[in-house]
Amino acid sequence: MTLLNKIKKYSWIVKSLLHLPWSVKKDALTTLLTAHKKYLPDTESHADVEDILKCALCPNMCRFDCPVLDCVKSETTSPAGKARIAYLYEMDRFKSRDAVNLMYACAGCGACLQWCPFGFCVEDLLHGVRRDIVDENQYIPPPLEELRETMVTYHTIFEQGCTSLHRQYGEGDTLYFAGCIALNQTKEIPAAVLTILEKAGIEYATLPEEWCCGAPLLMAGFFNEFSEFALHNKDVLSPFNRIVCSCPTCVYLFREIYPSMGVTLNTPVLHITEFLLDCVAEGLLSMKEGKKDYVYHDPCILSRRLDILKAPRTLLTSIPGIRLHESQFSGKETRCCGMGGLLSVTHPSISFEMGQKRLSQLEKKATHIITACPACKVSFTRVGAVNVADISEVISESVID
Amino acid sequence: MSKDGGSSGNRNNFEVIYPSITLSEEKKSRIMEALKKIVGKKNISDAQIDKISYSKDYWPIALRWMLEGKCAALPDIILWPHTAEQISEIFIMANEEKIPVIPFGEGSGVLGGAVPVHGGIIVDMKKMDRIISINDINLTVTVQSGINGMNLERRLNHEGYTMGHIPQSLYCSSLGGWLACRAAGQFSTKYGKIDDMLISLEAVLPQGEIIRSKLVPKSSTGPQVERILLGAEGTLGIITEATLKIWPYPEKRILASYVFTTMQEALESIRLILREGIFPAVVRLYDRIETSRHFYDTPQAKNRCMLILVMEGSSHLVDTEEKRSHALCSAQGGIACGPAPVHHWLDTRFNVRETSDFSPRDIIFDTIEVSVMWDKALKLYEAMISAMEAITGVIFASAHASHVYPQGACFYFTFGGTAGKKDALQFYRAVWSAAMRACLDAGGSISHHHGIGIMRIPWIKEELGTSYDIVNRLKKMLDPHNIMNPGKMGFDHDTSQ
Repeated sequence: MTLLNKIKKYSWIVKSLLHLPWSVKKDALTTLLTAHKKYLPDTESHADVEDILKCALCPNMCRFDCPVLDCVKSETTSPAGKARIAYLYEMDRFKSRDAVNLMYACAGCGACLQWCPFGFCVEDLLHGVRRDIVDENQYIPPPLEELRETMVTYHTIFEQGCTSLHRQYGEGDTLYFAGCIALNQTKEIPAAVLTILEKAGIEYATLPEEWCCGAPLLMAGFFNEFSEFALHNKDVLSPFNRIVCSCPTCVYLFREIYPSMGVTLNTPVLHITEFLLDCVAEGLLSMKEGKKDYVYHDPCILSRRLDILKAPRTLLTSIPGIRLHESQFSGKETRCCGMGGLLSVTHPSISFEMGQKRLSQLEKKATHIITACPACKVSFTRVGAVNVADISEVISESVID
Repeated sequence: MSKDGGSSGNRNNFEVIYPSITLSEEKKSRIMEALKKIVGKKNISDAQIDKISYSKDYWPIALRWMLEGKCAALPDIILWPHTAEQISEIFIMANEEKIPVIPFGEGSGVLGGAVPVHGGIIVDMKKMDRIISINDINLTVTVQSGINGMNLERRLNHEGYTMGHIPQSLYCSSLGGWLACRAAGQFSTKYGKIDDMLISLEAVLPQGEIIRSKLVPKSSTGPQVERILLGAEGTLGIITEATLKIWPYPEKRILASYVFTTMQEALESIRLILREGIFPAVVRLYDRIETSRHFYDTPQAKNRCMLILVMEGSSHLVDTEEKRSHALCSAQGGIACGPAPVHHWLDTRFNVRETSDFSPRDIIFDTIEVSVMWDKALKLYEAMISAMEAITGVIFASAHASHVYPQGACFYFTFGGTAGKKDALQFYRAVWSAAMRACLDAGGSISHHHGIGIMRIPWIKEELGTSYDIVNRLKKMLDPHNIMNPGKMGFDHDTSQ
């Protein structure tokens, strides 16, 4: 909002103040400028308590779209409910194991972001609280301690996990960055991507050791460890001309989060859907006919954080004969698959139920589900989806040799 | 005031405003075991974190207590039932144990109606949120009462319908809460209020009886006793299911706006529009202060009163409504401002920021909605504004007419002010008292759609007049042990703090 608009917007209140007796005017201005300090903590914290308080004082305008609340059905896990407990925690009024666990009961899906009058995402508000929890070193959920240990030791989220595609690393200036889940749980996705790259005649490279983007460390509140991952990745990724990722979270971290903490890659980072769409536009890929009915599931980070909505759809509809369906909740109003944030680590049963709910919404539209995130594919598969594929697999099958 | 000790392992540091009588460990354990058998162990909690979460609703006083490091009240137990039968068993047990039961929807009430002032059992209805059926022939939806408003409306829209009940709290309130408070939505002039939309219901009465009214559009078979649950705010039982009217999603929508020099001219235009049988879905008239607050981008609106109209439905009907309303507004001196101000309203109507922005700055902000017949409307508006402005510390008092009828209107007042060095709650209550007194003196009703809760108890007896005693007798007959949401609506104890 421009300064002129701000003046116009608040002129009514200025006019009201002008008519008041001097003593009231003085009281009003004093409280406006100083009162809020007494409702904030005396000590320094990583959390933005002023914003948390705004969320806590909201009537919960985003609650209807919160997938965690949709499963748990408790005020405690509602978005503003979490902010209220976060506020009490930061004000040192209520600290308990339950309070700490609640600070992690968020999928980080950003559904709240769509409806918030302040533009908050509850998980972003909770990041600072989690750093404070880590600093205080009390009640940190044991699975998160284990995750930290694993990541620091193996540089991936999986204990003794794979960090490489185990193939010739290539010398191209386009780096394919698969991500932890693709390297370990959905190897068919990087296989499909590399097939497409080869068919498109693109010179690419992969890393001999791919470190996690660090998102789980950031989300858990292990900021020092996260910073190490960010600095490492900056060093190894910067020499390339462009980075292509299968995982939307990696893209989001490299594009948005690293720079916000002063770690800028200076290299364009693309999600695979953006990259493949460019390949189609440049005539590097031609598709054969595909006649299936598909429903596309928008991954939360891809749609709400990265605003990549059209690319996957345009890419899919470039396959002749494909019939693409939309679920009731699609685009920016998509629902989380259950693998968002750290939910599958800290609250596995909620994560599983979210996956079931989302799958049943999608299956109402078509039996074949396409997504564009390895974690979404893992989630749908674990709750029983039979026909779920990453967009790279569908494109790989459709590309003419 | 009591200091809440909490359970072991918790670090609690806050005062509780309404200290309840703590249940003995033996009694609580017995009750918990019995309740677990009714709802299952996954649907019960006595964890401190949950008690805090259910300690209040959206009553501004309770929010202020939160800021001040206090807690309104703590329930003993929270339950999430799945069926009316489970609720019935809960009520039977609560009667035996003489323990309060407080129904809880989504906690968006602004008058303290869901605060567990005497402790007891919170019955959270969120797990009863199923849409049972949508009947296209009858144009009805049958749904459990725990459903969130937006989730109901979104599903209806997806299927090609609307219920037309769009309160500002749509995103954060439940069907059960709407029915319990006799709520009204912004599109109510066409679609009616929630009590107009209701056709039949299922409910559990305080002693455990489950009642279900017949699904017919109208009958002449004696008093509709189930209707006493509407507006009872959970003091006479819990509505568990309802069948409501729905409409095909509107084919056409026309947005129109007019500015007037005075509230009188604008009110007269509205009265005449409705007198002709024209029912725009949305009719909202803003006084000068609110016009400058919301429509600062409309040059013609300066120092004038803005009227916005949304006409929707079948295109033939809507075109006629627009034509006639334009003629009637113009005849009263209204200047047409086109659809832009209405678009602005549509875009910003759910931006509820004031409490978050101003409460932590000790600016006391609240809204008061009342209703009045046309022949007293202007007088009531002026009297209430003057009464609030007369309280030292009030920075502004303003209003808009938010719902209208051929017979009268609802005025929705907003005030903001500062207590200075005085007590914030005293200031807050002083403004409310002045507003309520002026409303009653001008012949208005003290609430149009927010209800009574705790905040309006001091005026309910005068409001209901000769009916007050009857309502009390009904309450005593249906709920002899006063288990249902005690401390609310002036049925029993004085809960003013």
